[in-house]
Amino acid sequence: MKDLITIGLPSKGRLKDKAISFFNNSGLKIIQSEKERNYFGTIENKPNTKIIFLHAKEIIQRIGDGTLDAGVSGLDLFNESEKNLRKKIIIKRKLDFGSANLVVAVPNDWIDVQTIADLEEVSFDLKSKRNSRLRVATKYPNLTNDFLISKGVTQYKIIPSLGSTETYPFIGSSEIITDISSTGKTLADNNLRALKDGLILNSTACLFYAKNNDKNFKVLF
Amino acid sequence: MKLKKLSETIIKTFKSNGFVLTEPDVLLDSEYIIERSGEKFRSTILTYESEDGKTMCLRPDLTVASCLKFLQKKISSKIYYSGQAYRRSSKKKSNFINDQLGIEIFGSKNQIQDDFKVIKTILGCAKKIKSKKIKIKVGDISLFKSLINTLDMPERWKLRLIRHFWRPTYFEELLKRLEKNADIDSVTFDIDKKKFYEMKKIDQNKVIAGRTVSEILKRFDRKIKDPRSFSDGKKIVKIIRSFLKIKCKLSKLEDKLLDFEKKNNLKNNIFKNYESIQSLKKLKQEVNFITNFGRDVEYYTGIVFVVFSGNKEIARGGRYNSLLKSLGARKDIPAVGAAINLKNI
Repeated sequence: MKDLITIGLPSKGRLKDKAISFFNNSGLKIIQSEKERNYFGTIENKPNTKIIFLHAKEIIQRIGDGTLDAGVSGLDLFNESEKNLRKKIIIKRKLDFGSANLVVAVPNDWIDVQTIADLEEVSFDLKSKRNSRLRVATKYPNLTNDFLISKGVTQYKIIPSLGSTETYPFIGSSEIITDISSTGKTLADNNLRALKDGLILNSTACLFYAKNNDKNFKVLF
Repeated sequence: MKLKKLSETIIKTFKSNGFVLTEPDVLLDSEYIIERSGEKFRSTILTYESEDGKTMCLRPDLTVASCLKFLQKKISSKIYYSGQAYRRSSKKKSNFINDQLGIEIFGSKNQIQDDFKVIKTILGCAKKIKSKKIKIKVGDISLFKSLINTLDMPERWKLRLIRHFWRPTYFEELLKRLEKNADIDSVTFDIDKKKFYEMKKIDQNKVIAGRTVSEILKRFDRKIKDPRSFSDGKKIVKIIRSFLKIKCKLSKLEDKLLDFEKKNNLKNNIFKNYESIQSLKKLKQEVNFITNFGRDVEYYTGIVFVVFSGNKEIARGGRYNSLLKSLGARKDIPAVGAAINLKNI
């Protein structure tokens, strides 16, 4: 259908619940399938809309390739995505949920490392004494690269991580990490702490639209 | 003059000055480049994965490629090259392919003499291929190091400023921080000090995320015993900024530096080793000296120079005594080189 608007919403967790509430509170009642594991939905009285529940990262990808016309996902995932993809997406609105910080975190016991400048120095120490680079585990290699380089840290190596990044420094896979933290509890529970000037990004959930899309978004908001 | 003819003229000059042709490998193991230049450099090189799982790249720079060849003992120590380097750039309309013609002297025994030899050879080429007025601008990174090492500030700050001299934007941030901020966070300091004493009691060889307890405590101790004051920071930054404004004709350099020392109440003769620059007087050529110069290439350690024809840069080079070590040599190997930019000719 030419006028059909396809919207991607996160498929699980708090982000899913909050995204549904946001639509409901905006007068767009989301109807989910009665089948528990079905990934499709609709909006009440809006026959030209279709909801697809997807992984938040997938939503960015699919808006970028034109499969979705709009969607709710995180600013962190959008900023981390490739430049060519970002060019095809617009941030329509920042939403008041899903707020979290992407931070650089070091082991609690590294008491000599309080700032990025300390980290830069330690990375040079590692390089000169052991001829190895500081390993930084992350799910956000692009944002981490840009941030560290802008702060003068050049002697490091990215270790891509898919999850449980907080464990990496203690199992010998990396020395430090960058990760998303909302309250700091997960970091603290895993003997890590964010550096005081180590904020990479203040992220939040956002409503994204596909750029150069001639669909009538007015039926939504 | 056509490009081919130009290249021939340049190569003839290289040869007549005793430089021997080398053909550096086109494909390099990208880890060499990343290890030296840092992770960010990855986005600028053109790579592919080889069958044995290595990430190979097209040579991004002929100096680095020549160094690698020298380290494999495949070439003599006074070389010239003529070829292409391949690099991605974020600048619009920039080419992937850069034609480079250059010379290098590896393992300099007489550094002053070799610096002069390289500059004289490049100048000889410039004069043969260009009709506009030739000018040379020079700087010397080692003068900056001499200045920093005489200033009264924590050792780690000295190293930090020297390390980042080649990155002017970040260097400026460092100066601002040196002027204003304290290095120690007074809020967390007491907690950390308590932890310091606790950690002193545990096994000092215990490894925490790749660093031993003793390494962590030593650095913490050094940091708290080596604080700096606000007023000193301000004074130091003022001296550094005024040093970076020095700009003069080569003939006036000595007086300028003495004047700078005097005005800033520094010890006499902190700038001793700039004979390489002084020797350029023999060129009988207009040479301008600038302290704030040669800051865009990480590996320079001494003299840095650019040759202009009119307003166009046609060649640049400098001394790089640490590059070979960072590429795998057991110790620093003195080296100097320069390349001619064919695009601007």
